Amino acid sequence: MRGLLDSSVEPLWVGGEIGSWTRSRAGHCYFSLKDDRAQIRGVLFSREAAKLPTDPDEGTKVRVFGDLTLYEARGEFQLVARTVEAEGAEGLWRKAFEELKARLEREGLLDPGLKRPIPPFPSTIGVVTSPTGAALRDITSVLQRRAPWARVVVAGSRVQGEGASYEIAEALHRLAKTAQPDVIIVGRGGGSLEDLWAFNEEPVARAIAECPIPVVSAVGHEVDVTISDLVADRRAPTPSAAAETVVPDTPALLEQLRRSPERLGRALRRTASRPRLLLADRMRRLEGSMQNRLVPARRSLEQGRDRLERRISALHTSRSARLATISGRLQALSPLSTLARGYAVALRPDGPVVRTVDAVQPGDDLRVRLADGHVDARVTSTTPHTNE
Amino acid sequence: MSDSTTADRADPTLETRLGRLEEILARMESDDVELEEALTLFEEGVQHVRAAETLLSATELKVEELLASGATQPLDLDDA
Repeated sequence: MRGLLDSSVEPLWVGGEIGSWTRSRAGHCYFSLKDDRAQIRGVLFSREAAKLPTDPDEGTKVRVFGDLTLYEARGEFQLVARTVEAEGAEGLWRKAFEELKARLEREGLLDPGLKRPIPPFPSTIGVVTSPTGAALRDITSVLQRRAPWARVVVAGSRVQGEGASYEIAEALHRLAKTAQPDVIIVGRGGGSLEDLWAFNEEPVARAIAECPIPVVSAVGHEVDVTISDLVADRRAPTPSAAAETVVPDTPALLEQLRRSPERLGRALRRTASRPRLLLADRMRRLEGSMQNRLVPARRSLEQGRDRLERRISALHTSRSARLATISGRLQALSPLSTLARGYAVALRPDGPVVRTVDAVQPGDDLRVRLADGHVDARVTSTTPHTNE
Repeated sequence: MSDSTTADRADPTLETRLGRLEEILARMESDDVELEEALTLFEEGVQHVRAAETLLSATELKVEELLASGATQPLDLDDA
C-alpha cells in the first residue's frame, strides 16, 4: 500500500497552520499541520531542515511542499516535506533576521559606540568574498582607479550555500590574524534573499564583532540590509561603494601633499622673523618704560633743586643777619673802640702788655698804643697806688 | 597605535607619514615653536612629503590571495 501511495501520488503543496513543531537532536523536525477541519503529521529531515533560517512558531501559517507517504508503524499518513515556507513577505527569513538582531542588540553588539573609525590611509586592505565573484572585481577596479598604491589581500570564501557563514567567519579570522590589514571589506554582490543569507547568520555576525580590525560590510545591492551590515563598523551599499569608503581620493591627496612644503616654508619664515619682531617690540617697550620711569625722577629732581635753592637763600638771609649782629658785638669788644674812648695801652718793646707797675723799671722803653697810632716813651718813675 | 610605532622603525606607512606631517604642520604653525625646532621639523616634513609622493605614485594595484598557511601569493583576476 505504501509503495502504491509513493508511486502514484505526485509531490504536492499543502497549506495550513503549524500545530506543533519539534526539532530532534539529529536535526529532524517533526510537526503537525492543521486547518479548522483537519490535521496531518509531517517530517522535515535534517538535510532540508538545515536550510530553514529558523523554526516556525506554533500558529504560523506555512506552505509545505512534500511527498505524501504512509507511516506504517502508526498507520498514519505523513507528509515528508522538502521545503517549509512561511506565508507573507519573507516569512521565516524575516523572523530569523529579527530574532538574531534582537539577540545581538541585547548583547550590545549593535551599539553605535562600538563602531570603530575607518583608517583614512590604509596600506593594506583585506577582502573577504568569493575570489571568483563580481564583488571582488568591482572592489579591485575601484581601488585601481582611486588608490593604485594600496595592497589588497583576499581571503577567499564561499558566500552562499550551506556552511558559507562559517567559511566567511573563518576567512575573517584568518585574515585579521595573519595578513593584519588596516581595514577589511566583507561582502558579496547582489542576489536573492536566500543567496545573501550567510550574511544574516550568527557566525558572520560574531566574527565581525570579534574582529580586531575595522570591518566594512557590503552585501548585495543598496536595499539589502543584513545582520553583517548592522554589526560592521561601517555599512556600504555595494562592494564598489565599500572600496570607495576605505581609500582616500589619490589626486586630492597628492594635491594636498604638494601644498605642504609651501605651508612648511611659510611657517618656517614666520618663525625665523619672529626674534627680530620680538626684539623690536622689546626695545619699544623698554624705551617706553624708561620714559615713564624718568618722568617722576626728573620731577623730583626739579623739586629738590627748588627746595635746595630756597633753603640756601633762606640760610643766606639768616646768616647775613647774624653776621651783622656778631660784627656789631665784635666791634663793641674790640680794644680799638676802648682806645677811641680815650684809653691807652702800654706795651713793652718785646710785646707784652704792661698790666702792673712792677712790670717796668725807670728807664725802660714803652710803646703806648692810642686809637689812631702809638707813642714811644721812656719810664721815668713808677708809683703804685696806695690804698687810702 | 602599537602597529604604527612598529612601522615607524621599519618603513613608515603612508598613514604614519601623513599623520606625522599633519602634526608637524600644526606644530610649526603654532606660536611657541623655537627656530631650531622649526628647522628640524621643516626638514622632516619635507622628507615625509617626498616619501608619501613616492608611495602614492605606484600605478599598479597589488592583489594577493591569502593561503591557508597564512602566506600570500599574487592573485591574477583575469585568470580567475
